[in-house]
Amino acid sequence: MNLKPTTTSWFAQIVAVIIMGQTLVFKFTGNEQSIAIFEELNMPYGHLIIGSLELIACILLLLPQSVVYGAILGSGLMTGALIGHITKLGWEGERGKLGLLAVLTLFCCLSVLILRRRQIPIIKGIISEGELTKH
Amino acid sequence: MITGKLSVDLHKLAKFVNLSLPIITIAFFLAGLQLSFYFHFLTITAFFLTIINTYYLYAQKGHAILRNFGILAQGRYILESIGPELRQYLFASDTEEKPFNRTERVEVYRKSLDMDSARSFGSLHEFDATELKIRHSMFPCDKSAHIPFSLTFGEERGIESTYTINNPVIISGMSYGALGRNAVRALARGAKSAGIPMNTGEGGYPKYHLMEGCDLIFQMGTAKFGVRNHDGSLSEKLLEELASDPCIKMIEIKLSQGAKPGKGGLLPKEKVTEEIATLRGVPRGADVSSPAHHEECKDYSSLTAFIARVQTISKIPVGIKLCLGNLSEFREMVHDFKRQNIFPDWITIDGSEGGTGAAPRAFIDRVGMPLFPALKGANDILLEAGVRNRLKLLASGKLISPGRQMIAFCLGANAICTARGFMLSLGCIQAMQCGNNTCPVGITTHEPDLQHGLDIAVKAARVNNYVKNLNKDLDEIVAATGCRSINELSFDHLYVPAESTLAPYIRNN
Repeated sequence: MNLKPTTTSWFAQIVAVIIMGQTLVFKFTGNEQSIAIFEELNMPYGHLIIGSLELIACILLLLPQSVVYGAILGSGLMTGALIGHITKLGWEGERGKLGLLAVLTLFCCLSVLILRRRQIPIIKGIISEGELTKH
Repeated sequence: MITGKLSVDLHKLAKFVNLSLPIITIAFFLAGLQLSFYFHFLTITAFFLTIINTYYLYAQKGHAILRNFGILAQGRYILESIGPELRQYLFASDTEEKPFNRTERVEVYRKSLDMDSARSFGSLHEFDATELKIRHSMFPCDKSAHIPFSLTFGEERGIESTYTINNPVIISGMSYGALGRNAVRALARGAKSAGIPMNTGEGGYPKYHLMEGCDLIFQMGTAKFGVRNHDGSLSEKLLEELASDPCIKMIEIKLSQGAKPGKGGLLPKEKVTEEIATLRGVPRGADVSSPAHHEECKDYSSLTAFIARVQTISKIPVGIKLCLGNLSEFREMVHDFKRQNIFPDWITIDGSEGGTGAAPRAFIDRVGMPLFPALKGANDILLEAGVRNRLKLLASGKLISPGRQMIAFCLGANAICTARGFMLSLGCIQAMQCGNNTCPVGITTHEPDLQHGLDIAVKAARVNNYVKNLNKDLDEIVAATGCRSINELSFDHLYVPAESTLAPYIRNN
């Protein structure tokens, strides 16, 4: 099957939004395990701050004009999650599941960035060299 | 050697930044580990910047400056991108911008806003060896002796549906496509209230031009958008239908235009919307290029025959528009008109300085004769051939202010056309992005967000004011020359310095 780059990108965007979106429920409702994780990281109100940023990333990922910005924010947040798991949280049991979901989301966001590299603000002009824009 | 002088070595600074980025990343990471996890916000930002910087320095090869200096070099591109704005806002003097400097633009703005355009303490122009000036008379014409302007197209051929204009100013050809719909409608509404005709440009069926009920001159470009068969030839049926519309008063056959003489019209693909593709009958996703010439016009006699054919089918006045390359070619053309006893009802001479159009830089800058020598030459050729009274002569090419317009009248123009003058009256700020669909004032764009700023009713009133105040100034200058009307102006009303392009025409200066 030959998928168009934009179709693949939308698939990755939606996977990332679903994964980030479902954890928002736990973060915003003050789920005990969620609060515990952020306490362990020494991040007071972390569940709300990170949750808000994830919400913004989800919204940006779904708006056609801002997909790459959502992907940049999303990959930043997931890299943070990854650092958390590597340095403090570990991969035991439920934590490992959450960590793997973060890796999957990071993979999706990076895929979006690669597929849409011609839309990324500070490198688009360099990639599209050869197709000189008209002025 | 230590001199104690401080200076910035950008290369060293760049190397320092390039080295610092990974170190900073590690430092933030350690802070995140030991102090607070919140430091990782900075870790990740610095990490991403490091990746981008590495890509600039080692992966990409297209930009030497990014490969040598890394992320800091983006500063150059950022500053360069806002250069035009900075120059226009802060650094360019009032008389040095091109194509229109600030004093010229402000004159149009003030006329459009119906503000007094009187100025004090002298001219900002150079009074050097190339500036044309208008000769006034010691005995200006009395107001009561002034003859109101009136020009009737088609009277020479004795056709029934002649068309008379009572203002010497015409809105020059700008298609829907080049302009957005709001701009077209504002111009059309302004034209209606000012009582002037508007040229549709070569953009096919003039849907938006027709909405406001103003008088229209339909322009037939080399691709014949709006009146073409599928193979690009003239559809007589469509032309007849169009010419029978009560709003379409005249037809202009565009042979060439000042922005790109010898090359067809061009609509960049950014501006080809679904609707424009339909109105013109062309595909989307590619630049719309018109052919360089009408396929019916291969030589002088076939050109004359084509004009006659359009005149016969349309039954309304038909003129031609061209930018001159060779006066000898113009002479040949006029001789052929004479031989076949067929004349267009008018000829528009477009100066090579003309044009809002998108065109290769070399065409804009280097191809075609400038308006004044071309207009003077064309007028003289028509007089020599004894056929000046068989047609009208229109002029276009940067004729936005009454000063330049007066010169055109002295050189033989019966009326003038301007496109950019009217764009400025709509609020154009000379951002020069007409071909990019990003016009910041919503004139030459189809983006709804950008067109939102252009209120049709307000801008139509500005167009009306512009025409009114142009006429007021023109009447006053004509009176100053001692003439009763524009028709009485002649070359002798011009002061032509020896180094002007018009100097060869001087008889007794």
